Amino acid sequence: MAKKILLIEDEKIMINLLEKKLSQEGYEVTVSVNGEEGLKKMKEDKPDIILLDIIMPKMGGFEVMEEMNKDEQLKKIPVIIISNSGQPVELGKAKELGASDWLIKTEFDPQEVIEKVVKQIGK
Amino acid sequence: MPDENEEDRVKSSLLADDLASLENYIHDLFNFSPLPICFVSPIGVLLEVNPAFESISRMKSYELIGEPIEKLFNKEKIEDLAKETLEKGSVRGKEMEFFTQKEGNIITQVFTRVRKDEKGDVVGYFLGLFDLTKIKEVEKELKKSQVALMNILEDTEEARKKAEEERKRTEEIIASLNDGLMVFDKDNKLSLMNLQAEKLFGVEKEKVIGQAVSAFFHTSELRPLAYLLGRDIKRLFREELKVGDSFILEISTIPLIARGRSMGNVVVMHDVSREKTVERMKTEFVSVAAHQLRTPLSAIKWTLKMLLDGDLGKISSEQREFIEKTYESNERMIRLINDLLNVSRIEEGRYLYKKVPYDMIQLTQSLIDSYEDEAKKRNIILEFVKPKEVIPQVMIDVEKMGLALQNLIDNAIKYTPEKGKVTVGIDYDKKEVVVSVKDTGIGIPESQQERVFSKFYRGSNVLKRETEGSGLGLFITRNVVEAHEGKVWFESEPNKGTTFFFSIPAK
Repeated sequence: MAKKILLIEDEKIMINLLEKKLSQEGYEVTVSVNGEEGLKKMKEDKPDIILLDIIMPKMGGFEVMEEMNKDEQLKKIPVIIISNSGQPVELGKAKELGASDWLIKTEFDPQEVIEKVVKQIGK
Repeated sequence: MPDENEEDRVKSSLLADDLASLENYIHDLFNFSPLPICFVSPIGVLLEVNPAFESISRMKSYELIGEPIEKLFNKEKIEDLAKETLEKGSVRGKEMEFFTQKEGNIITQVFTRVRKDEKGDVVGYFLGLFDLTKIKEVEKELKKSQVALMNILEDTEEARKKAEEERKRTEEIIASLNDGLMVFDKDNKLSLMNLQAEKLFGVEKEKVIGQAVSAFFHTSELRPLAYLLGRDIKRLFREELKVGDSFILEISTIPLIARGRSMGNVVVMHDVSREKTVERMKTEFVSVAAHQLRTPLSAIKWTLKMLLDGDLGKISSEQREFIEKTYESNERMIRLINDLLNVSRIEEGRYLYKKVPYDMIQLTQSLIDSYEDEAKKRNIILEFVKPKEVIPQVMIDVEKMGLALQNLIDNAIKYTPEKGKVTVGIDYDKKEVVVSVKDTGIGIPESQQERVFSKFYRGSNVLKRETEGSGLGLFITRNVVEAHEGKVWFESEPNKGTTFFFSIPAK
């Protein structure tokens, strides 16, 4: 059975690209365009991993993680942060909240995203 | 009666004796008198003179007696005097010029007194002189000294006024200065403070004047300044100081030296709050702009990469070529934005440094490795000369220091023509670790060497060769190195090459 990935990201083109790339690799991808929706989805779908953007409308990535940390089940799902910003303060905060890994969009390419996902949950 | 006659004769003889004696007496007195005296007839002829008169006039009595008195005085004046004397009986202390034969004119004070015979007819007048020459001279001298004294007093007064004016003017200038100003004496005690300084620190000068810097530690308003200045007032140039929430000041100290000796210090505080606010706003703007720019650039990058990876279907070799070029341009744009972002973070003070002990050789090696392909592509030899001895680890922020060194290596490769050579070296002199990056490139024009580390600087000879480059690399390098308490410098010869050095203290 294919591993499930929840992508929480508001940038449409990024969604398209990642969806395409990840499903090509054989993952099952669901998408939420903001944090609020993402939280709802993860409770329903129980994904194997979450790719999470930080700056989003309604609920940002950090808030999503804070909410996840309150739930014993959600807490266990690995999270990879994908962000435009690579500021040390933000990376530090992501780590503190329990992110498994992070990607700075301009510094990584799609292939490296796959590598990071594989590292967390395997093929 | 014979007896009576006899008696009369005796009497008369006795009287004659008395008279003779009196005459002698008067004659002696006349001769003795140290004051010149003469007797003048009513028509102004000298009838008698005493020796003192001879002496003052430098003439003998026979030269004088029988002569008109107007030979000795001004004619009109002596006539007036004679008239007054005959009318009033005497004149006291009139000042007149007396003509002497040899010594010229002298100033005298003249006294006269009329003489009458027993019938009451005027027979002449006595004229006595008092030589005022000496007194006049003394008076003159006295006047001269008085004038001189007055002059001195006036000069002093003028000098005092001038000094006072000067002082007032200086005080006004100091008071009206936009910058805060404090003057400390040689014992580091506050001797002067202007209004602006009072305002900036929120203190009243009456309360702090006379205090030593060390006492400032006990005043909450002045404590930050005291920490910056130190007890002995350090030499400072534009050191930033935050005062409360409202002011950011630039503090400079200027030692006062007179005749080679220290007279204290002037501390100038320049309010840069406004500049800092503007700078912060600019930084924030750049930061936001950079973030906004990054989003579409990421999207482009990822799209192109997926196209190249064949994720979106097969592409022709011609398509691949174009996409590769576009990808490269996009990468360049991303680097530029990253530089901008780093700069704005440096200026915001958000460029936090997390220092850990790290081996500079390891850091350098990893950078050299990552540039191997690029160097090969450009046909440049990239060499790493490691130190022969073991070098200690240094305390660095690995990411930032990597960026600093990367900028130097990147520049060296970029500005070195084909078949050139880039040599990276590390030295250790017990105190610091010095990293050098030497190239055989185009060099930095001498006229521009001062500006190399400033923001957005790009060499004029570079602009002709390459249009790429943000002009931020060396600015970032310097900031990173200085944040590590190190120094950056370089040696350059146009068309021969440049060597950049930076040092990091070994602790």
